[in-house]
Amino acid sequence: MTTTNRNTSLITLAFALVLWFMPSVRETLDFPVFFLLFGYSLFFWIAQASSWNTFTGFSGYFSFGQGAFFGAGVYSVAVLAVKRDWPLLFTFLVGGLVAAVIGLIIGVVVFRLRKLRGEIFALMTLAVAFVMASVARVSPAIDGGQGVPVNTVELPEFLGDFPTMIFRLGLIVATFAVITAQSVQRSRLGWGLFSIRDDEDVAETLGVPTFRFKITALLLTAFIAGISGAIHSLQIGYVTIEDVFSIRVPLFVILMSILGGTKHWMGPVVGAVVVVTLNDRLNRAGFQEISDLITGGLLILMIVAVKEGLYLRMRARPLRTAVGFTAGLVIGFALGALDESLITLVAYGLGIAVLAVMLPLSWFARSEPAVTDDVEEVASHG
Amino acid sequence: MADLRFTGIGKRFGGVRALDGVDGHVDEGEILGLVGPNGSGKSTLINVLSGHYAADDGSITYGEANLTDLPPHRIIETGLARTYQIPRPFSTMTALENVSVPFMFGANPLSPQTARESAMEWLAFTGLDSLANEPIDSLNLHQLKYLELARALAARPKLLFLDEVLSGLNPTEITASIEMVRRIHSSGITIVIVEHLVRVVTELASRIMVLDRGKVIADGDPTLVMQDDAVVTAYLGKRSKRAEG
Repeated sequence: MTTTNRNTSLITLAFALVLWFMPSVRETLDFPVFFLLFGYSLFFWIAQASSWNTFTGFSGYFSFGQGAFFGAGVYSVAVLAVKRDWPLLFTFLVGGLVAAVIGLIIGVVVFRLRKLRGEIFALMTLAVAFVMASVARVSPAIDGGQGVPVNTVELPEFLGDFPTMIFRLGLIVATFAVITAQSVQRSRLGWGLFSIRDDEDVAETLGVPTFRFKITALLLTAFIAGISGAIHSLQIGYVTIEDVFSIRVPLFVILMSILGGTKHWMGPVVGAVVVVTLNDRLNRAGFQEISDLITGGLLILMIVAVKEGLYLRMRARPLRTAVGFTAGLVIGFALGALDESLITLVAYGLGIAVLAVMLPLSWFARSEPAVTDDVEEVASHG
Repeated sequence: MADLRFTGIGKRFGGVRALDGVDGHVDEGEILGLVGPNGSGKSTLINVLSGHYAADDGSITYGEANLTDLPPHRIIETGLARTYQIPRPFSTMTALENVSVPFMFGANPLSPQTARESAMEWLAFTGLDSLANEPIDSLNLHQLKYLELARALAARPKLLFLDEVLSGLNPTEITASIEMVRRIHSSGITIVIVEHLVRVVTELASRIMVLDRGKVIADGDPTLVMQDDAVVTAYLGKRSKRAEG
């Protein structure tokens, strides 16, 4: 377990502040509008993955509840801002709170029962999203099966045009999610959660208030996922139950976090950046139909090869990461990636960097037992 | 006066009565040896007294505090800590991090940073300081047993349960460990020690309590108790009943 301190959060905040002005300097730098939308996509997934990881990654309780929390946020805007004309920004907050209440109910019911650990907890959280989807489908006040057009809602003017607005809103939530994860990781709450993950009974007898800590972490996860979902409703435009409560959000946050590594706040961030960038470029390159298939296949490969997660592996092998990334940029440049977009070039860099930290070490691990075999063979011949 | 008192403790697992109306006490400042054959309920008693299992019957008080219905994480605040017979370290943490966790909780919680510094002292006490930043899977059984001990001490107990902390060690290690238990005791910590090795118990304990099939069959001075007929029978069995033993 590695520590993170207050300076980490200050750096994160400074970084976010720089990004905040990206929409203002976009035209001067001659960046396309698409950069802002792509940036939002990164922020959305960073917020979702980081929030999921703050509970599940740190505590070890596998949650599929992300879809429920996300959906609660989306439908808070759909119902309150669209159908009831509540102020949009206020409904974002309500979305977070509704999700938090759902998290609280799940937590109080499930965590009270000592036997509901592991798989049962995962199934319970999955079931909650199904129940919510059914309720929304039969209730005309929420959806009624017709879908809700969120794109009709009036946007507050002081936030600028749509790409600027969604970019900045996404940035705020992502920053909040990441700083929350950092704060949890370095606090007593974090250490309590880590000890729960390793051995909950021992944690409890050593003084960790396991019930309270699990509830607290789940509330943080739900609140952030809810707000992020509320903002995302604007990006979706026309929300439907099938879309919102699909398995996509819970599945992707899990993949991103496990790929990047669940033991460090930076893991989900790295995972989100890699998956979003590669997925986006595959889509652009005309692989829409099979981009999920390719991403999924790559993820399985990487998860098997890099068990501790990309982030910890990259940090342990900084040189290999840097060389891989640079080589990727050079290769991408040579292939004319820059003519298409800067993002394509970065995708080459990320892709090669991932391969660089992943492949050689697994070869190394495989060759180790082979060496001892040789020794034994020599010994037996002797 | 902080004595631990327990009366009528009962614990069942399915149809098996692991503990059946166990009464007893641990006086402040003593070393109580808890002995008995395999399956006699020694570890179960420690699990119940430390809050790891809830008792089915009976009541437990420690000084002024009633522990009977207290959640485990509150029990440690009263000054009770325990080690596990089979070491149960936090497997994704380093040795130092394992020992720093209890410092962050309990009656006087420290910040994670201060906890690390304090944890280093107990690692040094148990001779594990050179392994502070090693992952758990690089520690051997002997070191894991000591890590259990260091982690329990990090909870700053007034009464410490040692559940077979010496089993599996070689004679040299045992001698060193007995010395270590004495040093812990002389720092003002009351000790309850569960041990199979009669040598360890008679050397350390000022009083012995013998359990057999979930009941107390003897309680008193170590040398007298170990010669008691019922105790000898429980350990060695009567000649005719040996097959059942």
